[in-house]
Amino acid sequence: MKKLFSVIAVFLITISIVTAQETPYQKVMKKEIATLISTDSLNQLQSSANAFARIAELNTKEWQPLYYQGLAYTFIGLDKSLSLDLKDAALAKAEELINKADVLSPNNAEIVTVQGFILMAKVSADPGSRGQSLSGQVMGTFGKALTMDSKNPRALILMSQMEYGLSKFFGNGTEKACGLAKESLAVFNSQNEDALEVALQPTWGKPLAENMVKGCK
Amino acid sequence: MKTIFTSLLLFTVLASSAQTRISGKITDQKGIVIPGANIYIKGTYDGSSSDLNGSFQFSTDEKGKQILVIQSIGFKAKESEVECAAQPLIVNISLSESINLLTAVTITAGAMEASDEKKAVVLKPLDILTTSGAMGDITAAFLTLPGTSTVGNDGRLFVRGGGASETSIYIDGLQVGNAFGSTVSNVPTRTRFSPNLFKGSFFSTGGYSAEFGQALSSALALNSLDMPLRNQGDLSIMTLGGGYTQTLVGKKNALTASANYFNLAPYQAVVKQKFDWGKSPSGWDSEISLKQKWGKAGFIKGYFHTEGGGMTIWQKEPGAEGRGQRVKLDNSYSYGNVSFRHSGGNNWFFSGGAAFSHNRDAIRLDQTPVRQVTQLVHTKFVATKDFTPGFALKNGLEWYVKSYSEALLNESKERDIKDHQFNHFIEASYYFSNRLIAVGGLRSGYSILAKQYWLTPRFSLAYKLKQGQLSFAAGKFKQLPDEKLRVLQTNLANTEATHYILNYFLVNNNRTFRAESFYKIYDNLVTYSGTTREPQKIGQNGSGYARGVDFFYRDKKTVKGTDFWITYSFVDSKRKFAAYESLIQPSFAPKHNGSVVVKHFVGKLKSQLGTSWSWNSGYTYTNPNLAGEMQNKTKMYSDLSLSWSWLPRPNVIVHAACSNVLGRENIFGYRYASQPGAEGNYASLPVGQGAKRFAFIGLFITLSKDRNANQLNNL
Repeated sequence: MKKLFSVIAVFLITISIVTAQETPYQKVMKKEIATLISTDSLNQLQSSANAFARIAELNTKEWQPLYYQGLAYTFIGLDKSLSLDLKDAALAKAEELINKADVLSPNNAEIVTVQGFILMAKVSADPGSRGQSLSGQVMGTFGKALTMDSKNPRALILMSQMEYGLSKFFGNGTEKACGLAKESLAVFNSQNEDALEVALQPTWGKPLAENMVKGCK
Repeated sequence: MKTIFTSLLLFTVLASSAQTRISGKITDQKGIVIPGANIYIKGTYDGSSSDLNGSFQFSTDEKGKQILVIQSIGFKAKESEVECAAQPLIVNISLSESINLLTAVTITAGAMEASDEKKAVVLKPLDILTTSGAMGDITAAFLTLPGTSTVGNDGRLFVRGGGASETSIYIDGLQVGNAFGSTVSNVPTRTRFSPNLFKGSFFSTGGYSAEFGQALSSALALNSLDMPLRNQGDLSIMTLGGGYTQTLVGKKNALTASANYFNLAPYQAVVKQKFDWGKSPSGWDSEISLKQKWGKAGFIKGYFHTEGGGMTIWQKEPGAEGRGQRVKLDNSYSYGNVSFRHSGGNNWFFSGGAAFSHNRDAIRLDQTPVRQVTQLVHTKFVATKDFTPGFALKNGLEWYVKSYSEALLNESKERDIKDHQFNHFIEASYYFSNRLIAVGGLRSGYSILAKQYWLTPRFSLAYKLKQGQLSFAAGKFKQLPDEKLRVLQTNLANTEATHYILNYFLVNNNRTFRAESFYKIYDNLVTYSGTTREPQKIGQNGSGYARGVDFFYRDKKTVKGTDFWITYSFVDSKRKFAAYESLIQPSFAPKHNGSVVVKHFVGKLKSQLGTSWSWNSGYTYTNPNLAGEMQNKTKMYSDLSLSWSWLPRPNVIVHAACSNVLGRENIFGYRYASQPGAEGNYASLPVGQGAKRFAFIGLFITLSKDRNANQLNNL
């Protein structure tokens, strides 16, 4: 009974948020976030980054536009078709933006997670020469995000990917990596995505967790 | 209802007709289209991105004069005024390139950088640790790079025909006195500092920046780590000794303390030695390093290192019976520095600090005790201003205090010198474009002891080609003579060198190629008659040259899981200096030098296997039984080393290494008796290696909460 009650409560809150008057900022953010998360096209990612840049310029106190612009450049930096120089340029831009977001919203687990994600993208741009020196930093950054919010599904799944690579390297079992992936997926499944979207909170990363959990079986 | 609908429709039509449609094309200054540029009306959400053809279009409800902003990574942002009057507007814009230090050309002439962050590097910091044969010695790893020569009975850095004292070593910009361990003649030494302290290094084999002086051949700048990752303890247990390092990390500061002890006696008791040791080398060191963040990117760092050690060796006299001369050495050494770097806003950057080195050698030659004390104080302040992203001006002031004393304790004889030197340097760097950079500098100095003022210009240029880049550097370099000579004659002036260097550098897809040619002219070198121990008639009538070419090729791609590099250096050097009466090829400048380093990772064995081979064409020496100087040459030098690093668990490393596995008898020269024997011949003894091979096994364990932390950077 109690459970049912809380479900209804959440439902009602969601309805009220959804139906509340949207500001132009929220409207344009929701649209652009949806575009960013659903695209793989390099051109579209750059357009998304540009759109967030326009939004950020008008909303200088909000961390989300900078966060998503940084995320867009991180996705660009992960694109396999680009040269190392172009990847690095995109990741440098991403780093600059996410650090600005960090100033606006300090100790934000989402921002710290993307800081780690950028480092991870740097490693994947040139694993041979960056792996050894940067991997520790990547895991340290995800670890920092998890101490701020132990249930952050994005920090969990990215950490799981790092653990997976490490266990392959040392030929150990993948139990730890798979445990993290399952934990991440469980958090993703328990979240109310619509409510988060309305609050302009990050929701990306679920397919990563799903793929990882599938691979673990 | 219908009317409402109609009016609504009408309203929409009106609204749309009141919009201004802006379209156009974005190109660079050569007319090449720029996709992905951001075009928008300032202060609104109205905007768009250029497509793959550089074209864009969007509509806006804004009216009247508006500012159109155009941005794209790699280009300077542009603003353009437009009039929005519900009429379609066509705006074509060309953007000019902005200077991007990440991808722009860099000066590579003479420079070999080890860095994780930069592009034009030949090494990663980790390479210094994992190069087989280097045995964790910073400079030994550099000896596998072009422009250097291995001098097996010395161990220090010899660069392009220059002597070991022609290289200056810096930590965080501050000079280190006596950076190499004290040793006795013909027993090789190594750097005093552990490679784990540093995040990167800048090794120049010539033509370096005005920031560095008092070095004729080479500058080696080591940059210490910023913030360690985590709290951890590192334990090492080796065949030669052991040590422990504790790291504590706070939010804005960190502390690392370590203590180490080594003693070669047990090893030398088991493995047969060629040197006649009275007491095997042993020593201890302890260090404390402090880091404090200052603002966003600034740091204050302190580093203190103190060590002690000694050895006793019997050195056989050529042509004489018995063990020869007994040489006992006791050394105590301290180095400390405090440095800072800080960005002061408005594109001002400040750095500097103060360093102190103190070295004391107590030497006993048979029954004669000698004491030598060398001290160096270096203070430095540098201000850099970036006027534009492409133009920076660096200004620095330095003050050195150098002192040296030597005493014959039995005779209560002592002599010493103390010198103050003041330096100023200024350096401007200017990017004409992302393809072309020029750097010009001037360094001036004054020595109170030598009563000499000097001014040395430096210049370098780099141009990016379609494939790789070309770089040129030239400059004048001055260095006051060795303190052991200055103490005998205090008015000795600067020795001089002029460098010209042309470099080609290419990094592509995990392959690096570097070719460099150089020409170096020496002047005002110190000359004397008599022997090195007791020089007479000291003057500065020496001169010489060194010229040559070197190649470096590194490949991480061709063979899977394998990283290798190959170097070849040709040096043609002749100089008149010290007690030589003519232009000769110095013993420390072999003509042909080469090395091959291979690292191979075997995932199944969780191991990195390494090998390195270094080779040169032989060392010149003077045979007093023949006419002339430096008329002989030893047979070639060759050393093949192997190493194996095994990671059984992420936090445990076992490292084993062996030098000269083939057991080759390398000879570095010959020592001759000072007087001819009964038959009128000077007797001789070869100068060789301490032992046929040197083997090493170590176990390194990292203790931390993070089970994956290891000492990979400790090998």
